[in-house]
Amino acid sequence: MYKKINHYLRAIWAENIKEWKIELTYKADFVRGMIDPLVYVLPYLLYGIALVGGRTSESLEKLTGTGDLITFVTLGYIFIGFLNMALWAMGFSLRKEQYWGTLESVFAAPVPRWVYALGMAAHSTMHQGLMISLQLIVISIVFKLSVNMGGIVPSLGVVGVMLIALYGLGMMIASLTLIFKQGWLISEALSSLIMIITPIAYPLAVLPVFMQKAAMALPTTYGILTVRHFLIGEKMGFSVGTSFLRLAILCVLWVVFGLIVFAFIDKRTRRSGTLAHY
Amino acid sequence: MRWNRLKADLAIIGAEIRKTAKIWFAYKILMFFWAIFPLIWVIPYLFQGKALVGGMSSAPFAQLTGTENYMAFVLIGAMVSTYIFSGLWGVGNSLREETYWGTLEYIIASPTSLLVVLIGKTLAEFLYATVMVIFQATLATFFFGIDITFGKIFPLMMIIVLLVIGFYGFAIAFAGFTLLIKEVHGWVHTLEWVFFLFSPIRYPVEVNAITKLVSAFVPLTYALVAIRAIILLNKSVINLWQILLILGVMDIILIAGGYILFNRLEYRTKKAGTMSQY
Repeated sequence: MYKKINHYLRAIWAENIKEWKIELTYKADFVRGMIDPLVYVLPYLLYGIALVGGRTSESLEKLTGTGDLITFVTLGYIFIGFLNMALWAMGFSLRKEQYWGTLESVFAAPVPRWVYALGMAAHSTMHQGLMISLQLIVISIVFKLSVNMGGIVPSLGVVGVMLIALYGLGMMIASLTLIFKQGWLISEALSSLIMIITPIAYPLAVLPVFMQKAAMALPTTYGILTVRHFLIGEKMGFSVGTSFLRLAILCVLWVVFGLIVFAFIDKRTRRSGTLAHY
Repeated sequence: MRWNRLKADLAIIGAEIRKTAKIWFAYKILMFFWAIFPLIWVIPYLFQGKALVGGMSSAPFAQLTGTENYMAFVLIGAMVSTYIFSGLWGVGNSLREETYWGTLEYIIASPTSLLVVLIGKTLAEFLYATVMVIFQATLATFFFGIDITFGKIFPLMMIIVLLVIGFYGFAIAFAGFTLLIKEVHGWVHTLEWVFFLFSPIRYPVEVNAITKLVSAFVPLTYALVAIRAIILLNKSVINLWQILLILGVMDIILIAGGYILFNRLEYRTKKAGTMSQY
């Protein structure tokens, strides 16, 4: 048993290292990827400043208990990085293997598919972690974010639980690319819709009721609300315990659903002989 | 002789437009995506505005832009940016796509200038973007109450033509750049965020001294200011003559610069013998 776990861990690590090696080969692209999220958040912040004529919004304070729009939006925005991890980095990993012509070799390795998926997840998490850290450091320096330092450790705990649920979503998207091949449209459409219902730059209260209900099925909703609750005291409408409980349920649901869809599509594409089709 | 050449060039341009249209109709889902999603991408900005100001109008926003209606502001930005993204992806990336399809060598081997083929692609992209924008404008009129009357269409088209002439000049130079460096996905994304940050697509650039300064060198800034003045402030095109003049001068510089750069880059690629490399 121990030998088997060790074997799987080595495969996960090898997958992670392989991804880093490929990424670091294209240094200019790697640097650009680091700067991208930092630049993407700026229009949201500058738009907010233009709307209220400063960085404090009375309306936001009434809705959430905090009026500092810069800290509010920045903390929400870092979760786009985690969503991108699931929808693009993990979701597109199999497509990339197809592009490089190595998918069959990877799938022929003597490890279960989920081990490969965990390897991609490990790399994506580290990569996104690096990007988010850089984003937070620069925004903190430029805009002087003010957060409750005592909330950092519990926030990391929430993010950790949320990531497990997102891995399930990422696995589902990754398998969909085996069927749809050019699956960028699915990732783009899904990420656009998820970004609307996730309370990134606004609280849930401004969304129509049906969107608020849909948002409750997403792990990022609880992740954002709870992290902002810990760091800037956002009112959530439910307790921290409820948030952790719901996140734990979503973890189980998304991971099980992701694994089932992954296994089903994997079996179907191998049966139909279309695994190697580009 | 000259007349015959012009006739032949026009036939090539016509053929290129027909070919591009056939490719679009082969991927109908993509047409639907590009008609709808630019509007969907601005929905988070509308909810953010509602959360920050507690309504659909903002007095600080009016001080910067002349209009309190931030919803109309971002919707117009989204519609006009369709031309920019069609230029970047459709024209700038078009020769790269020909290498992807394996058809670039056939085009080069034909007795025509690559620049004529690019003009065909440019006109095709303009038609495509115009169809998308008309569809988006119809949606914006019916669902978001944006007032675009028939009397405003001619001045609006005049400004858009002035915008795209210069921008497509830049895109043609960029297409030459793709011949040389091949993989440009990263560059296109970087240019996308340059436009999002340094032109008033999503927010009034006047809110920050740096964005205000840099945006003065981007033609899209002037075009958006003029288009919003006509639609939202009911200004006559005659009152905007200074903006039209600046756009006209920028067009001359960008078209001449684009032509020279493209020819140089094409020559350099041919000399290096890397034209058909992927």
